[in-house]
Amino acid sequence: MSDILLQAENVGIRFGGLQALEALNLTVRDKELCCIIGPNGAGKSTFLNVLTGTLRPTSGSVRFLGHDSAGLPLHRIARLGIARKFQIPSVFPNLSVEDNLKVARWGAPSPVRPVGELLELVALGNRAATLAGELAHGQKQWLEIGMALAIEPRLLLLDEPTAGMTPQETLATAQMLLRLKGEFSIVAVEHDIRFVRALNCETLVLHQGRRLRSGPFHDIESDEMVRDVYLGRR
Amino acid sequence: MIARDRNWLLIFATCVALAIIYPFFAGGYQLTVIRDALIFGLFAASLDFFWGRTGILCFGHAAFFGIGGYIMALVTLNDAIPFGSLLGIMGAVAGAAFVAAIIGYFLFFGGIRGSYFTIVTLAMGVICQQAAVSWSSVTGGDSGLIGIPPIEFDLGGLHVDLSQDLPSYIFVSAIVAMTVLALWLISRGRWGTVLTAIQDNEIRAAALGHNAPLRLLVTFVLSAAIAGLAGALYVCMAGLVAPDLSGLLLSTEVIVWVAVGGRGTLLGPVLGAIFIQRAQQTISSFNPSLWPLLLGCVFVIIVFVLPDGILSIYARLKGLFKGRRRAQ
Amino acid sequence: MDFLITTLLNALTLISILMLVGLGLAISFGLMNVTNLAHGEFVTVGAFAVYFVQSIGGSFWLGLAAAPIAGAVVGCILEFAIIRHLYSRPVSTVLATWGVSLILQQGLELTFGLGAKPVTPPIEGTLDLVFTVYPAYRLILIGIAMLTLLGVILLISRTPFGLDIRTVIQNREMAEGVGINTRRTYAIAFTFGAAIAGLAGGLVAPLAIVLPQMGVNYLANAFFVVIVGGVGSIGGLVAGSVFVGGLTSILNYQISPSLAQAIVLLAAIVAVRLRPNGLFNGASR
Ligand SMILES: Nc1ncnc2c1ncn2[C@@H]1O[C@H](COP(=O)(O)OP(=O)(O)O)[C@@H](O)[C@H]1O
Ligand SMILES: [Mg+2]
Repeated sequence: MSDILLQAENVGIRFGGLQALEALNLTVRDKELCCIIGPNGAGKSTFLNVLTGTLRPTSGSVRFLGHDSAGLPLHRIARLGIARKFQIPSVFPNLSVEDNLKVARWGAPSPVRPVGELLELVALGNRAATLAGELAHGQKQWLEIGMALAIEPRLLLLDEPTAGMTPQETLATAQMLLRLKGEFSIVAVEHDIRFVRALNCETLVLHQGRRLRSGPFHDIESDEMVRDVYLGRR
Repeated sequence: MIARDRNWLLIFATCVALAIIYPFFAGGYQLTVIRDALIFGLFAASLDFFWGRTGILCFGHAAFFGIGGYIMALVTLNDAIPFGSLLGIMGAVAGAAFVAAIIGYFLFFGGIRGSYFTIVTLAMGVICQQAAVSWSSVTGGDSGLIGIPPIEFDLGGLHVDLSQDLPSYIFVSAIVAMTVLALWLISRGRWGTVLTAIQDNEIRAAALGHNAPLRLLVTFVLSAAIAGLAGALYVCMAGLVAPDLSGLLLSTEVIVWVAVGGRGTLLGPVLGAIFIQRAQQTISSFNPSLWPLLLGCVFVIIVFVLPDGILSIYARLKGLFKGRRRAQ
Repeated sequence: MDFLITTLLNALTLISILMLVGLGLAISFGLMNVTNLAHGEFVTVGAFAVYFVQSIGGSFWLGLAAAPIAGAVVGCILEFAIIRHLYSRPVSTVLATWGVSLILQQGLELTFGLGAKPVTPPIEGTLDLVFTVYPAYRLILIGIAMLTLLGVILLISRTPFGLDIRTVIQNREMAEGVGINTRRTYAIAFTFGAAIAGLAGGLVAPLAIVLPQMGVNYLANAFFVVIVGGVGSIGGLVAGSVFVGGLTSILNYQISPSLAQAIVLLAAIVAVRLRPNGLFNGASR
């Protein structure tokens, strides 16, 4: 019990007539890395929203460090130690890369890493003065990861961090995360199987809002059913 | 970034220098004209501090100017209140801030932004003017209140008496310069950077732990407080207060000053206020109903021709020049 | 009893006008996301149309027919010259339409001169309604407003053009995908809203003080209607009008009109804080 950071039990959510999520369980231990995969529309982003407390589940419960965070204002959730990278890259386009990271640090209750270190971590050391709006797509994604790191989270939730990246960038991102593994818990939602393979961690497969399989990635990868609904397409 | 800061300080220093040497060349009347224009410049800077940094347009900012003016008038005209000038200024600032806090609380925490905010503040301005007209037992109705004494107070052994042209000019210039500098420091520092982030993407800023509604509210209240200060200064210099000080026309004129001077520059709006008022006086002496017509045209022209203000002409010319050089 | 009925009818008069003026705003502000600060001038132009027709010897009814046409013409020009170029720049739209509003006001003043313009109602006198006697023209006004609203509901729910509008509102991209010319639909909807506001101006002309600056009060109130009622449904429009119009009429009896306005503003702000999507759409959030 002691090292459980986030626990979702029997989570379900309805949007009007659509049962977007149903009977989902997820336990994230302290400093653990895990992945959620699934085809488009499976409910991955919705599940992340429930995990962060931005969406209240219609059934079941989510507890972060034993507290219910559902319905809290966004900034309070952030101050609990939950950082999040959105699916659509959302950096502040009119601020420089450095200022983006500064804004992120200022929001944290007790920032530790200096901006310089963050810049190096996300491989943007030579772009500090560039306006974030002028970065390449992949670099924006990295900057967002850097911003999430800046608030010194207990839990980092990443929604499709490698969307739109080249294969090299995808691998670099995976390595970035592996380097951070062990500092805090990470939940990564992904679409790109190469990325998940590189991370090689506990994986939850979603399909139409339900758990299809869960377990270590090499078990998942060899699963016939998962191949059929998901991997078979690649 | 650094170069931009240096440029700003350079222009600021030039303006301060000009303000210092101006009294050596100008007569008493000209001093008072510039003094009054500077007060409106302060008002413009207060709007720019909010609009320029948050991107949210307040369409009733004159309400705060008027509230400040009326409170100042009522306090200084009441013989029973001691230290009228100082208390009046404090009351004016506090009153404007209070109204802004109430309205801002409901709007910002209710998730109201953008056009909705603009509309509600527009209505607020309309109502303030109507209230000033119809609550005549207190506000003097249509004709307002007259005979407001000049500012006079003792502060730490210093006796300040602004009944003469030169002292009042110096006092107003100093306040405007200090306020604009302070606002600039605030908006280029941490506070302003986070505001820019909120303007760019409020949800993202909140997800990083920033309390966006609170920050917008505080900025709005500060902006209103300075507008109230400007209103208080103005009525003491003019000696009277009237409903149109909180009216829609002034609310829209201040928008033009900011837009023409350059939104987000703080200094531009002050200069915009001075120059456009000069233009207004010249044109109105010609035909008084021509000014609103022209003002309307200026609005349309700004939007289609000069979206970044007069100062952008300079930047554009520079860009053109640079582009040529590179092409060669 | 007769006091109650009179208050009710007064409220109904105001509510009718607000619904007509608010309709155009619900279209432009609510659905197209265009903040048109010149909307009040459509009302002014409608009122001046009636005045103008009467001043050259025409009847009130001829003037009332001219009012929506005048509103439509001004609205159409505004849409073509300004608004369609600024769809992606909301603050610029605010500034430009405000500029147009000033130009129109001053243009009317230069053309027709200073001072309030007299407009005579088509029927003088009152009607005996058993419980109370009430000015006959006001009853006509309420009737015409209700019929117009009914017409609009039928137009939107029963005609091909209404279907286009509903599709564009639901999803602009999808509408373009199925071949609806969204620009044209916007332009027509905007012009239509302007025409209805012009009609409202014509209707209030005999009751109001007809001045070039008369539009701004209708503008502020109509925005409240749309904000309070929420956008996207006739029900919201009616709810907003009843809220703003009803509250104003009731308060007008007790206190001075401007204090009543201030209270309505505060009530509207509080209502928005409690139900950000409008009174009528509260459940959907
Ligand atoms: N706010 C919402 N209202 C209604 N339906 C929604 C909402 N958010 C998501 N959905 C639906 O829920 C399903 C899951 O969406 P999402 O979580 O974005 O999938 P993924 O991220 O896996 O691609 C989709 O069918 C989507 O249309
Ligand atoms: Mg998704």
